[in-house]
Amino acid sequence: MKKDRFLAWLDGEEDLYEGNVEVKPQEEYEVPQEVLMERMRENKRLRERVNDVEHNREYKFFKHLYRILAVDFGILLILLLLLAVSFLPPVGHAANPDNNEVSARYIEKGLQETGAVNIVTGMILDYRAFDTLGESHVLFVAAVTVFVLLRAGKGKQEENDRIYEPKNDTILQKAAFVLVPMIMIFGIYVILNGHLSPGGGFSGGAIIGSGLILYLNAFGFAKTERFFTEKTYKRVCLFSLAFYCLAKSYSFYTGANDIHSAIPLGTPGAILSSGLILPLNICVGLVVACTMYAFYALFRKGGF
Amino acid sequence: MLEWIRFVAGTVFLAIGILIFFVQLAGVFRYKYVLNRMHAAAMGDTLGISFSMAGLMIFSGFNFTTLKMALVILFLWCASPVSAHLVARLETTTCGNLSDFCEVQEDKETDKEGEKA
Amino acid sequence: MNLESLYHTEFIVVLVLMALFLFACLIRAVRGPLVADRVVAVNMMGTMVMVMIAVFALLLGEGYLVDICLIYAMISFLAVIVLTKVYMGVYLAKKKSRKESGEETQDA
Repeated sequence: MKKDRFLAWLDGEEDLYEGNVEVKPQEEYEVPQEVLMERMRENKRLRERVNDVEHNREYKFFKHLYRILAVDFGILLILLLLLAVSFLPPVGHAANPDNNEVSARYIEKGLQETGAVNIVTGMILDYRAFDTLGESHVLFVAAVTVFVLLRAGKGKQEENDRIYEPKNDTILQKAAFVLVPMIMIFGIYVILNGHLSPGGGFSGGAIIGSGLILYLNAFGFAKTERFFTEKTYKRVCLFSLAFYCLAKSYSFYTGANDIHSAIPLGTPGAILSSGLILPLNICVGLVVACTMYAFYALFRKGGF
Repeated sequence: MLEWIRFVAGTVFLAIGILIFFVQLAGVFRYKYVLNRMHAAAMGDTLGISFSMAGLMIFSGFNFTTLKMALVILFLWCASPVSAHLVARLETTTCGNLSDFCEVQEDKETDKEGEKA
Repeated sequence: MNLESLYHTEFIVVLVLMALFLFACLIRAVRGPLVADRVVAVNMMGTMVMVMIAVFALLLGEGYLVDICLIYAMISFLAVIVLTKVYMGVYLAKKKSRKESGEETQDA
């Protein structure tokens, strides 16, 4: 009999446990309404207690302590730094690590070897021209990076938030009509006189960039794009950097093969002197001017 | 003798320039509304810089430096009034209640004529 | 009492006075309640620094420092232009958006 029942269970006809062990269907566990309301009230009480600043004594104490400690920390840091500075050797002392033979040679033979009256320009564009090449490339890469980052959100066009700005102010236009040529000529003067008086490519380029920004502010984007577009920027930067590379690789070639460089140095004090410094100044100035204008236009408009 | 004349003349111009800067500063501090202060600042800038630079030009003689200082004066004479105009434009646009501070005259007669015609 | 020391003393006095004026301008820039106050004060500071640089150029006897004066004038002028333009644009945009949201809440 048990075997029969077993066989019946095996075939699936009879359920041995029917009626003995049953699993009742579960009721849904409902949180009673009072418990929910109590939880909400408790949350509200907690939030009020946390945000209650006036009766929070520890918070007030901490605020006072923080202010005092912050001022103390600042003063301590200043005193530490002043103490560290007081240990520096005096300026011009003979035993400074500054006064080595490199700087002595630059000062003594700078005018004779580079032909530039301004020794600093002679140094950055003749002795250490490779560094300046790297700097010009850094400027270009920075502008390109900003361009890429501002275009990264492709597809969502930001709305034009320059609608409400004042445009076409007559007084500003008349003033810019007189001032922009003056600024440009001053910038060109500073670039060309890099080797005679303080100035050079970087400051002259910044001045020309400012002149362009003034033109843009007075006349608007439409008029400026008549002569300065993305194509102009690309061509000017490419030409300047390529010319710099080619000009200075000439020096690498002659230096490595022990040939004297054939570029004449001219008389110091004249404007056409000191070899390659004048064309290199012009290249650096162009790159800097384009970069300054590019930054301004990118951050205002998102493109050229 | 000429040196002493140059010294005295230059000092007089420079002293007048500094006096004008002081008057400009007093004006900026005593007036109550920003448009009045801007008026004081613009006047003081233009006049003060020209007198000071004239004194310094007398000090330095016939130089290239003198020419550059004259260029600075010229640049500021063109640029400073435009700055004042721009600040006034900013203030009248962003002030909510302009008629509290200064008289704003409403143009009522031409409005009525426009309505009739 | 030779001329050199007189020049020297006079330049130092002028420099100290202009430095005090500069500090007073800074107070105005910090205290001024409106934005236009601060723009005016910064412009004034630029002009006073220009006079100081020119005096310094004569004190040291180097003529090329006057170039820096010109650059300073240009920079302060450009700063006033850009600041006023941007601030006016931002203010008018905010006013427009506040008016639109104000009208929406009025309608709803």
